[in-house]
Parts: sequence; C-alpha cells; structure tokens
Amino acid sequence: MRLLLLFFFLVAGAFCANATALQKINAAKKEVVVKKPLIEKLDSSKISARRFSEEAIADYSKQKEFIYDDVAPKTTSLWSRFWRWIWSMISELLGGKVSGSIIKYVLIAIAIALVVYLVIKLIGLDLKLLTGKSKEVDIPFDESLENIHEIDFDEQLGIALQNKNYRLVVRLLYLKTLKQLTDKRLIDWQPEKTNQAYVEELSRQSYHQQFVELTYQFEYIWYGEFYIDQPTFESIHQSFKDFNQQTA
Amino acid sequence: MEQEMFNQRTDLTALSEAVEKIKQSLGKVIVGQKDTIDLLIAGLLADGHILLEGVPGVAKTLSAKLVARCISATFSRIQFTPDLMPSDVLGTAVFSPKAAEFQFRRGPIFGNIILVDEINRAPAKTQSALFEAMEERQITVDGNTYILEEPFMVLATQNPIEQEGTYRLPEAQLDRFLFKIEVKYPTLEEEITILENQHQQKTVDQLAEITAVLTVDDIKSLRATIKSLFVEPKLLAYVAQITHETRNNKSLYLGASPRASLAMINGAKAIAAMAGRDFVTPDDIVKVATPVLSHRIMLSPEKEMEGLTAADIVAQIIKKIEVPR
Repeated sequence: MRLLLLFFFLVAGAFCANATALQKINAAKKEVVVKKPLIEKLDSSKISARRFSEEAIADYSKQKEFIYDDVAPKTTSLWSRFWRWIWSMISELLGGKVSGSIIKYVLIAIAIALVVYLVIKLIGLDLKLLTGKSKEVDIPFDESLENIHEIDFDEQLGIALQNKNYRLVVRLLYLKTLKQLTDKRLIDWQPEKTNQAYVEELSRQSYHQQFVELTYQFEYIWYGEFYIDQPTFESIHQSFKDFNQQTA
Repeated sequence: MEQEMFNQRTDLTALSEAVEKIKQSLGKVIVGQKDTIDLLIAGLLADGHILLEGVPGVAKTLSAKLVARCISATFSRIQFTPDLMPSDVLGTAVFSPKAAEFQFRRGPIFGNIILVDEINRAPAKTQSALFEAMEERQITVDGNTYILEEPFMVLATQNPIEQEGTYRLPEAQLDRFLFKIEVKYPTLEEEITILENQHQQKTVDQLAEITAVLTVDDIKSLRATIKSLFVEPKLLAYVAQITHETRNNKSLYLGASPRASLAMINGAKAIAAMAGRDFVTPDDIVKVATPVLSHRIMLSPEKEMEGLTAADIVAQIIKKIEVPR
C-alpha cells in the first residue's frame, strides 16, 4: 500500500512539473512577438576624411633619425680596441677553445676575489670566524724550545747557581734527573706526560720513594713558587745528587 | 721533612678535615666509586653544579642525596618528567583572596642543594627555567628577581642509554655544569661487597647514620679558601691551550667555551686543596679536564659514527699539549 501511494505521488509530481514548464514556454513565445524597429534615426552629418600631409612626411624623411637604411659607422675607442686585443690574445693562447666572453668573466671573478682577499688581509679579519673556529695561536711556551736531551745542564746550572736563582736550579736538576732516567730507559720521556706519570713508571723501583720526594720538592718550588733559602736549597741539592748517584 | 721545608701559605686543615668527614660518611653507604666521590666533593668546594651520568642502578641519585645529607642545608628534589612546566620548578603567582593580590609561591628551586633527577626527561622549555638560576644564582618571574641563597648547587642525574621519552640537554645548560661525572659499574669485588651489605641489611642502618657534617657557613668558608689558591701563570696558559685546541680539533664540531677554562681552573684548585696543596699542578688540571670538557664539546658526525667518545678526544688533546715544566 505504501509503495502504491509513493508511486502515485511520483507520477502526480511529474505531471505537475511538465505542466509548469509548458506554461513558461508559451509565455516566452508571446514576448517574442512584440518587436522594436532596428533603426530609429539615420546620421546625416558630413564627414571630412583627414589625409597625411605630404610636406610633413617629406620633412620627416630628411631627418637622420628616420633614415633606417643607412648604417652608422662603428666608432671603437683605443681602450676598447686594447681590450679586444687582450681577449683575442688570451683566446689564442688557449687555442681558441674557450670563447672570449667566458674568459672575460672568469678573469673578472678572479680580480674581484683578489681585491676581497687583499681587503680582508689589510683589515686583519679572521676568516675562521665564519666557520665557527678561531684563529690558531701558538702559545709561546719556553719549555717548547727545550728538549731535555739538548740542554747543556752543567752550563745552565752554573749560571743559575751564580745568580742564586734556586728555583731555576731545582727545575734544571729535576729535568736533568728525568733525562738520566730516560737515558737509562727507566722512564719513557714524553713532553705531554705529567710528573705523576713518571712516578707511576718508577713504582716498582727501589728508589721510587726518593723520586716521589724529589717530585714533591720540585712541584712545591716550581709550580707553588715557594721561596727557598740557601740552607734549604743545599738540602734539596744533596737529595738530587744522592738520587742521581743511585740511578747512575 | 717537607712540612718543615714548605710551610703552607693557606691553612687547609679545616678543609682536609671536612673532606675526610664527607668521604667517611659517603663511604658508609657507597661502595667504591672513589673518583665519583672525589669529583662530587671537588664540585661542592669549587661552587659548581654537577651532572651525574650513568646507567640505571649505579647509585647516581643515592650519591647526590648523600652529598646533600652531609650538609645541613635546605634540600629539594625535583623529578623531571615530560609534562613538567617551568613554573613547577621556579614557582608561580597565586591569587590570595585574603590579601586580594597575587602572591609568589616559591618553587623547589629555592633551596641550597637541588637534586634534579632524570634531568633529560623534561623538554627544553623546562630545562631553560634552570639557566638563570644555575649561572646567575637568581630567578626572574613576572618581572621580579629573586636571589637564591648561597650555597646553591644543582646535582642532576641522567641516563645516557635510554632514548625513549628523553630530550638532549641544551648546550647552554650543559655548559653551566662544572663537571659531568660518568658513574661507572662497580668492580667485581665492589659488587660482592654491595651484595654482602645488602644481605646483612647494613645499608639501611648506615643510611640512617649519615648526618650533616658541614654547615652552610662551613661551605662558604671552604669555597673562599679554594678561591685563594695559587696557580702558576704557565699553568693558566696550559689550561687555555687545552680549551683552545678543542676549538681547532678536526674531530670536534663544537669546541669548549671560556667558561670551560674557568671551570678547569676552579676544579683543579679544589682537587689541589683536597690533596693538601695550596697551589695547582698539571696533574690537577689533567684530572679535571675530562669531567670539565666532555659535556661541553660535540663530536663531528663522522667521529661519532666511528664510535669515539668526547672523553677519547679530550685524552687525545691532552696528549698533544706539552706539560709546562
């Protein structure tokens, strides 16, 4: 029953729609019948045609800006001819494989780079700042110039003793001791090793404790800048002598 | 003989006693970890913050808690989590209906010893809340600056292995830590002792026994002593050269800042004082070089892929530089 009702409404709806469409078409046909005339009034005003002035055309034709057939002769300056000669020479040197314009641009780029480089050098700009790394600076360590195998200990010690520079004497005595231990292959001397590294290397030797004491004295005097008077120095000097005799 | 020969210019008796007391207290609970304990004490004396890094279960948090317990000072613990907000650390303004105004409620950062556990579990936003506190010892909230009480020390822990739910600490924050201490596994003998102590229930009893051995004033006084220690000018150049080399080393993407040089000097002074000396030696500098530099430098990607660590590169750098002698 529901389906029948639905069908009935669909059919009725279709008929209604069709009737409305037909009514619209008929109304449109009636509108077309009423037409207006296409031309209401003719324009009867006089027209005077304008013509080119022959005199003006002749006058313009005499002006050089309007003479297109004549080709103006090229005027090359001495400077331009010089550069043309330079580019041709370079091109010839390269066997004519590269065109003059490419060479020109390459040389200009090199010249600009050279100027920029000279400016940077003149103002002292650190280029490494751009890469996040700072300029390398050599820290002038006095010790870097000293190789314990090249120091003339007797001479240096003599000078230091004469000047009563006991701090320097103790340092030289310690370095001399390290040299002696290296020569005897008791330690492996390396500039980057700390004193404790040598203390550990000698840990199995009978004179280990003496070396510990010498290191202790050297460190207090050299790194700690402790003042030592002559009697104290004599005592330290003697301990160095004793140790060196023991390891000789 | 040496005592008579070299009379100390600085009285280090109080400092030596304090160090010994802390070592004894920590030694009651922590088995082994000598280097970790030494560096923790050095950091405390050098007025620096410390980052403890190690796998879970190597007593990082316990070490930090025990150091805090050795000092009679206010202690705060902040467990860093991914949802932690800067206001949870610093504090926040709360409206007081009684006073009809906003009042600042202080966060856990207001303490003397701050334990930041699992620091790498909080995002950069929360990490940055610590920047001002760690460097300038103050915090600024709502335009008001609050000075943090001295001593102020951050002890942070982090696990280097876990990646899930962790954030890499910002470089600016890493630079604010005086030392990064890598807490290693105990040796076999040490592990046996740990098991014996646990089995005999010694650890719990000993933990309760640990009491404060230093006051806030003691810490201030010891820190002043450390600052007065002597450093030979050539050793300053030695430190500068080590730091400088990190900036020119091809294995490194990022070198150390001048703050690293200062940290090395301060750390070396603390180590020297703990050894009973009032001056620094190259050994003191070498000893602190790795804990000071390893978290401040960044390896180049290729070196990282080769399996090298920051500590390896620091060791290489030290080997390249001549010891002033």
